[in-house]
Amino acid sequence: MSVVPMTTTPIEIEPPVSLWRDAWHRLRRNRLAVFGLVIVVVLAFAAVFGPYLTPYDFLSQDLNSRNMAPSLSHLFGTDDLGRDVFSRVVYGTRTAFLVAIVVTFIAVLIGVTLGALAGFFGGWLDRIVMWLTDMTMSIPNLLLVVVINASLKSPITSWMESRYLATLNPVYRETIWVDFLLVFGSMALISWPPYARLVRAQVLSIRSRPYITAAQALGLTNRIILMRYVVPNALGPLIVAVSAGLGTAMVLESAFSFLGVGVNPPTPSWGNMISDGLRVWQHYPHLLAAPAAVLGLASVAFSFLGDGLNDALNPRGAK
Amino acid sequence: MMAAQPLMRIEHLVKHFHVRLGAFGERAATVHALDDVNFDIFEGETLSLVGESGCGKSTTGFTLLNLHRATEGKVIYQGKNIVELDEKAMRPYRRQLQIVFQDPYSTLNPRMTIGEAVGEPILFHKLATKAELKDRIATLLADVGLPPRFASRYPHELSGGQRQRVAIARALACQPKFIVCDEAISALDVSVQAQIINLLLDLQQKYGLTYLFIAHDLAVVRHISDRVGVMYLGRLAELATREELFEHPLHPYTKALLSAVPEADPAHERSRKRQILQGDVPSPLSPPSGCRFHTRCPIAMDICSKAVPEWREARPGHMVACHAVTEGLLG
Amino acid sequence: MMMANSIRQEPSAKTGERLLDVKGLTIEIETRNGPATIVDGIDLHVDKGETLGIVGESGCGKSLTMLSMMRLLPNKIKVTKGEANFAGRDLQKMSNSELRRVRGGEVGFIFQDPMTSLNPVMRIGQQLAEPLIYHRGMSKAEARKRAGELLKLVGIPGAEDRLDAYPHELSGGMRQRVMIAIGLACNPQLLIADEPTTALDVTIQAQIVDLVKDLRDKLGMSVVWITHDLALIAGLVDRINVLYAGTVVEDAPVDALFANPSHPYTQGLLASIPKLSDERSTRLSSIGGTPPEPGRRPKGCPFAPRCPLAEAICHDRVPTLEGLNHDGAHRVACFVAQRKLEAA
Repeated sequence: MSVVPMTTTPIEIEPPVSLWRDAWHRLRRNRLAVFGLVIVVVLAFAAVFGPYLTPYDFLSQDLNSRNMAPSLSHLFGTDDLGRDVFSRVVYGTRTAFLVAIVVTFIAVLIGVTLGALAGFFGGWLDRIVMWLTDMTMSIPNLLLVVVINASLKSPITSWMESRYLATLNPVYRETIWVDFLLVFGSMALISWPPYARLVRAQVLSIRSRPYITAAQALGLTNRIILMRYVVPNALGPLIVAVSAGLGTAMVLESAFSFLGVGVNPPTPSWGNMISDGLRVWQHYPHLLAAPAAVLGLASVAFSFLGDGLNDALNPRGAK
Repeated sequence: MMAAQPLMRIEHLVKHFHVRLGAFGERAATVHALDDVNFDIFEGETLSLVGESGCGKSTTGFTLLNLHRATEGKVIYQGKNIVELDEKAMRPYRRQLQIVFQDPYSTLNPRMTIGEAVGEPILFHKLATKAELKDRIATLLADVGLPPRFASRYPHELSGGQRQRVAIARALACQPKFIVCDEAISALDVSVQAQIINLLLDLQQKYGLTYLFIAHDLAVVRHISDRVGVMYLGRLAELATREELFEHPLHPYTKALLSAVPEADPAHERSRKRQILQGDVPSPLSPPSGCRFHTRCPIAMDICSKAVPEWREARPGHMVACHAVTEGLLG
Repeated sequence: MMMANSIRQEPSAKTGERLLDVKGLTIEIETRNGPATIVDGIDLHVDKGETLGIVGESGCGKSLTMLSMMRLLPNKIKVTKGEANFAGRDLQKMSNSELRRVRGGEVGFIFQDPMTSLNPVMRIGQQLAEPLIYHRGMSKAEARKRAGELLKLVGIPGAEDRLDAYPHELSGGMRQRVMIAIGLACNPQLLIADEPTTALDVTIQAQIVDLVKDLRDKLGMSVVWITHDLALIAGLVDRINVLYAGTVVEDAPVDALFANPSHPYTQGLLASIPKLSDERSTRLSSIGGTPPEPGRRPKGCPFAPRCPLAEAICHDRVPTLEGLNHDGAHRVACFVAQRKLEAA
């Protein structure tokens, strides 16, 4: 073996560092991002375990203690049916997370698939996907959601009731799931285009990089190239977008619930709580302040986290 | 070293790119990257292609491997014209025809470890079982002078020279017969270039490889080649054995090119009379008529702007495309 | 080894007066783990009328050293010690307004990549005129006229007509000529060229080298030419400084350097250049290993870990530049080379 051997280089003293771990180190050093992350984790915890830990059940009414201001026994006070606002806000966290995660998941699934295919194969596929994206983005979001809700909710609910009466199958009794389904569906429908565009742009940029040509030269199939070479490298901006997107989805859900086309009472959502609180804020400001503050906090936390992820994953001057 | 039957025949190869120009892409134009390129590559040899920007040498390398689809012409390998093959039919050939790219910093997937990058083609082409894989990777890394523990490292932890070695190992993993080295050392430091050149020569000996070496550094080309082809604006100007080309260059462009190469000898450099070509290389979007070099050629004649010179054998094994040579005025 | 039997025929007008005098310059970069040294107490000088070549590979600090002259260093990189004297004044201590007058006015700079060094949205005539108006107080009309003359001087055909062209309309070679013209615009005493031909084709490179030689002789400038290509500057410069890991390891007149390279790194560099006179496939000698990273300079001589001649003392103490001859013109920073001389 006559090749000049490599002398020991410093990197051999340290363990291998993937780009992800590198990014994590950078993220940890960013105070705002860490703050956002902590808030998000706390809220997530509240969403999962909160309702089991709150002092009161979010539905139980105490008509003797209506509209009470915040106190030691009711941290955020009570609403006009005597329900503990704190417990309702906590449950609202679960609603918010549920909707945000499911909606974003569906939107990302659709968006990434369409965007990756469009970016990688180009041609007529690209044109169709772009047309779909443009179409969807040009319809006003609210209008679409309202129309879907208005046109589909009653027929589906009535159909479920009739089926229940016919079969007595308890599945058909949970009409609350119709609520959620319609909310998820319509929100996912308006949320996927930005992800598709983002991924498409990423894929277009990655597609022309030498390591993709190298993979082609090795004879690898398009499927392998897409999945092992293209998508992993497109994840960076996608992660940032998802983080911000979760925050946006939460605000969106609140907005729709506020307007009555999202989650309906008695299921607590920050949105419908804000709606209720708005009517009487001059008399009972805590009814508005509590859900609004938490919504604001959540939105800001996701925003900081998203920014931090952006800096961590796309550092300037990265090798 | 050279068999009678060529490993690869390139016949009348043409590659045009259709581009859109203008701020809104309103003008369609054609880049004449390659026009009527003909040559053979023999097994076990190192054939170099040299030339300046826009000459089409990299395009040639890519087109030979069907990474660009040729516009016209044939690339005959093992009796088959691979230009005609679709991607699926091409796949088995890809294993045998490999390429090492210029930029070591973007040639490796940043999200894969070195071991994964080198192991991928081995597994894909079923050249080893999963059990044998680790050893194969270690052997390949050792072949290119890297310790086996580099297999768990990521590209960004390696230097440019080390990454290029990985790229070579990856190409070798396919057990190829033919490797295109597309400016494989141009982006490296001088002292690292020397290491990689030595490595390529060693590997050629060990595995009986054939190289198409694309470069612009004539000193390196002289060192490593058996035969050298000079390209200008998409056409071959001259092709000969290394000795012939460097000692008896015939084409005026080759002469100017050789004259422009600096030598590490101050006294020689100070006293030499350089043949400096006037003007710039024309754009491949609108190449000159006739002989494409006529706009800068010190001995251009009337016919040079009118007719494309014939590609003929001026001396044994020495091909040139130049009217002056054809008419016996040179060489 | 090459025999230099022709001494440099046309010595440029050297008066021995130091135009640029750098002493003990240290440049550091802010890293995660504190400051790391890139350039370590470097000494170099350029005499009036002299052409100096600075040779080194990537990461050796050659560009940074020159950029630091003009205080053009990027954000996290700073000069922490030493001085850089230009015509007797310390550039590091000058006020900003004084420095601005020096930049472009007395020191011209040619950057490596003409693609990114020219303003893409400004016509080249304008870019040429700016230093003239600012440094020489010319009027717009005068500056435009002079710009046309400059373009002609650097060999751009149809000069006056090209004044209104944008950079992207010109080829790489043309753009580099424009860069040279801008660098020369105010007749600077010193021209610093940072790898100006690396991005160019070899025939264009030959044109540019010829051009700079010509202009230098015509205008009597001092020139610093930074490159990684020893062969390129062999016929261009009077003296060469070889840089490694931020220090000058050898400083010699050009003929002496090629005839008698004394530092093992210089020897390695020269040996790894394939020469047209080589036989085919002789093994190129190469230098094993890689240069040290900024934060990990070894104790002692920075080249010692890779040096085939390294001895115990080399890993322990940093060698300083010492003269090999009586006149001190050829200096090396190497214990082994210096010891050889004493023994001789």
